[in-house]
Amino acid sequence: MTTPSPHPNTNSPLLRLEGVSRSYGVRHAVDEVSLDLHAGARHAIIGPNGAGKSTLLHLIAGTLRPTAGRIRYAGHDIRRWPPHRRARAGIARTWQHPALTRPLTAAQNVLLAVPGQRLAALRTDPRAVAAAYQALTQVGLTDHADLPAARLAYGDQRRLEIAVALAGRPRLLLLDEPSAGLTTGEITGLTQLIRALPADISVLLVDHNLDMVAAVADTVTVLHHGRHITTGTPTDIRDHPDVRRVYLGATPTSPPAPTNAASACPHPTGAPVLRVRDLRAGYTGAAVLTDITLDVRAGRVTAVVGRNGAGKTTLINTIAGLHPAGPGSDIHLHGRSVAGLDTRARARAGLGLVPQGRRLFAGLTVDEHLALPTPHPTRARTVTPRQVLDLFPALAERRHHRPDQLSGGEQQMLALARALVAAPDVLLLDEPSEGLAPAVISHLAAIITSLANRGTAVLLAEQNLPLALHVAHDIAVLDRARIARHVATADLRDCPDQLHDLLTIPATATA
Amino acid sequence: MGLDGLVNAYTITALDGVAHGLLLFVIAAGLTLIVGVAGVFSMAHGTLYLAGAYLAWHLADGGFTGLTLALAAAVAVGALGGAGLAAAVRPLTDRPLDQVLATLGVAYIAADQFSTVFGAEPRSVDPPQAVAGSVSLGAFQYPVYRLGFIAVAAVLAVALFWLVERSRTGAVVRAVVADAGMAAAIGLRTGIVRTGVLVGGGVLAVTAGVLGAPVIGPAPGADTTILVYSLIVCVVGGLGSIRGALLAALGVGQTLTLGVALAPGAAAFVLAAAMLAALTLRQRTTLPGRPA
Amino acid sequence: MTTTLTPSPGAATTPTPNSRRRSIPVWLPAVAGAVALAGAVGLPWLVNGYVISLAATGLVMAVLAMSAQVLVGLAGLPPLGQAAYLAVGAYTAATIATVTSLGPIQLLAATAGGAVAAAVTGLLAVRARGTTFLMVTFGLGELVHAAANAWAPGGSEGVHTPPVIALPGLPAMVRPGWVYLYVLACTLLIGVAVALLVRSRFALLLRGIAAHEPRVQATGHHPGRLLLAAYVLAGGIAGAAGALSIAVTRYVSPADAAMGISALALAAALIGSGSMTGACAGAILLVAARDWAGGLLAGHGTTLLGLCFLLLAYLPRHRLADLTCRFPWRRP
Repeated sequence: MTTPSPHPNTNSPLLRLEGVSRSYGVRHAVDEVSLDLHAGARHAIIGPNGAGKSTLLHLIAGTLRPTAGRIRYAGHDIRRWPPHRRARAGIARTWQHPALTRPLTAAQNVLLAVPGQRLAALRTDPRAVAAAYQALTQVGLTDHADLPAARLAYGDQRRLEIAVALAGRPRLLLLDEPSAGLTTGEITGLTQLIRALPADISVLLVDHNLDMVAAVADTVTVLHHGRHITTGTPTDIRDHPDVRRVYLGATPTSPPAPTNAASACPHPTGAPVLRVRDLRAGYTGAAVLTDITLDVRAGRVTAVVGRNGAGKTTLINTIAGLHPAGPGSDIHLHGRSVAGLDTRARARAGLGLVPQGRRLFAGLTVDEHLALPTPHPTRARTVTPRQVLDLFPALAERRHHRPDQLSGGEQQMLALARALVAAPDVLLLDEPSEGLAPAVISHLAAIITSLANRGTAVLLAEQNLPLALHVAHDIAVLDRARIARHVATADLRDCPDQLHDLLTIPATATA
Repeated sequence: MGLDGLVNAYTITALDGVAHGLLLFVIAAGLTLIVGVAGVFSMAHGTLYLAGAYLAWHLADGGFTGLTLALAAAVAVGALGGAGLAAAVRPLTDRPLDQVLATLGVAYIAADQFSTVFGAEPRSVDPPQAVAGSVSLGAFQYPVYRLGFIAVAAVLAVALFWLVERSRTGAVVRAVVADAGMAAAIGLRTGIVRTGVLVGGGVLAVTAGVLGAPVIGPAPGADTTILVYSLIVCVVGGLGSIRGALLAALGVGQTLTLGVALAPGAAAFVLAAAMLAALTLRQRTTLPGRPA
Repeated sequence: MTTTLTPSPGAATTPTPNSRRRSIPVWLPAVAGAVALAGAVGLPWLVNGYVISLAATGLVMAVLAMSAQVLVGLAGLPPLGQAAYLAVGAYTAATIATVTSLGPIQLLAATAGGAVAAAVTGLLAVRARGTTFLMVTFGLGELVHAAANAWAPGGSEGVHTPPVIALPGLPAMVRPGWVYLYVLACTLLIGVAVALLVRSRFALLLRGIAAHEPRVQATGHHPGRLLLAAYVLAGGIAGAAGALSIAVTRYVSPADAAMGISALALAAALIGSGSMTGACAGAILLVAARDWAGGLLAGHGTTLLGLCFLLLAYLPRHRLADLTCRFPWRRP
């Protein structure tokens, strides 16, 4: 297909971002990112959690406005255009979770997006119907055209979303995590589908599945903490030293102490406090975790590592009771099953949660946060807020501050302190190092180690591999919804490269 | 004299506005917490006020005994009513429209019973004789009861403000408003907090009915009037916010008194404009697609 | 708030096997409709004047229920203030009645009046979603109610209007039977217009917004404008109901804007759960419960209405929605 650009200068990029930023107060979700996307490009954006990938997609689609910078599309400055105007100009998009009008049929969903129909039309234009069926054919869903979208299988819903996007005859297609929740076979199909798209559609995709990215994209951009790290071909990216560092996390400023927790464990053969058996969980039909079996022992730190989107947060939330567990799942705390208990009862039974994103209570002061949890009277161990504050001297000076007045590190310490006031036997830590400076991460590592030394069982979900290696006694690697490996940290510390392939871009990317 | 300069027809009306505003705050504070904590938009909230006002009318004996009796009964009726509503909406969790229908049904049935028992005509409630007179403020006469009401309502408002914003109980409530899931994850009883807020809101509304009966008296339709104004207070002040409710209630109180005196008929537009402004401002702060 | 308030998504997720859908013969709805129509037309010759005027009131409420259904059934926004536009339409028609008693002109004027009022207030209402929309429309309705008491001609006493003339050259309609037939004809006309609206692409977009608003926005439409258009249309239909209301009662007062009327319309729309026919049936049912059965029970119609609302809240409405969804929606 020949695609003469309507713009006189055919060499100018279809989409150009110039120093685009989006900040929330002091936090920069996207920080001065510049990017060129030429017609027909297959461009991928990757980066760890919180890198700002989805925010960047929102900025291009118009659902968020940039706080600084310019966005040029096909020769226009579209920074102030509302989303529907950008859509009419040819920018189509998909969402992380299937965004479909579920009661309508697949064909109706696609018809919504076919342009050039009159609002008052009573009979659907035959040309529009033909266009809709063409889009359905492109993704291979013609057989299900008359089924309500809600009744399609999850993988078909994702494909239907792409059909809806294609029906708008886009020039730029934004795909947000298209492979999330798909099985390996479905990802292969999706890869073929994206590769078979006509050359006049440029594709910008964000995805965690680096195999797919390597197979689909001709250019890859890496973001980290909202900043642009590098842009290049998938091969360049794979070998780029900065990228590995971004994915594996900042190395703590202090090297792993020789006398760290692993060798000085006071409870080497402690019975498991938390036993997880055959745990499964998922979102809207997509399996995120299957057959997870895990033991966490008193006085030991177990780290769960894995790529973004591997299911670490779902695992932590399912154990805490914030996310429903699938049938057959079994969670035992002190030998008692807690799978049937609600979130609060699990907290009372001794589970402490430091969730991803901290989830502090907006409007409550530090003191109020620490006054809320009360240890169960039947529990042996008791802690006072004062004892907890002794652990965090920085917080003790800010007892009347609210979360939005605290720095990121202080917020994390508050989330940790809030969990510790209830004197938990098992501490669930979800990405505690996210967004923290290296010095704060070292402090955090010291606190986690000292907690374990006092007999608390710690389950740490972490993307920062050096931190995990630093504090954990054993490491479980989560990959494709299961635990791929579970090994003692001591075996890994000598040759950490064993894990790198599971956590970054695999050396054997499918070509 | 400074006092004489201050006291004129408008300041007297503004004083009435303070009385209305504080009355609305005591009622709407309960509703805003009910919506914020339990997610229930209770259409029966005005009914609870009306129940209190009829209680005051029924038990009024011209002295403080009747008022005290009515207040004691108000606490019992409010607690029962709140608990009843909590039980009624419990099976309808996550079905907000059905909650509205159910509470509306309760409000209808109650309104019909009220007019059967107490009659269809408006009843005027006289305050206890000891405070029935009026005092002179400059050149104007002002009812003593209304001044006393302002004092009592202000004390109630301060107490409520302290309870929600300063005490541990209030911290628990605000934590549930902010993040119910996380509140459960640190061991708070979110279910009991929900029921408690409905009970507390019920007690407040019925008590406000007893105290406010001489200001906004019991009549068929008063329940809807009270519901509308407390709802506007909730929308303008922001759901679940006590501070916002206090400011919005005082504003609505002034609009309904001073505003009517200054520009008759404009009150409806001022209130609609206030809702529009509040919704527009709040829409800016909660943009879709904000990363978690 | 992200909660979807429409019953329809739940309805569509429950499986409806194709075989069951086909088990209803194609001719059955047509025959049932014809029988109902024949019954409705023949009613004045079958029952007494009181029941006929009740039936006319039921038809007025059916039109108002359709107006509510445009918002809650299509766009997923539950309105609790539709009576305000009915009152605006009724006052418009009453004002026109001082010039001409010609019904169709009153009807058109009332429709325009309701639509204009909805366009002004809709700017505020369509900013809200879910329960907040319900609260805001409730507030707006009550403010219109209060404003009518203060400003409308006749004040809280209301205005009386002369009997309506259906077509030029015909005598003024005084007997309830003729009024009923006129209202029935107008209701059918409005029903046809609404049926066309429901089958349009506009309605498809509204249903898209109800299910997933950003999705519709990303297909190049402005959801706010579409919702405002729906709100204006609903206001126009409610205004038309106002003109029919004064044709029946020959009287309009601020009480016509009361919350009870709005609540009845919303409840009727919810009984219909997505279907316009269902909404009309629900409205007639609720009016029968309030006025007819209430009249039998010594005027406790309000209690009966409250019981209906409670029933509606606790009954598994999704089953009902499933039933109406079995009649296939228009196919592309």
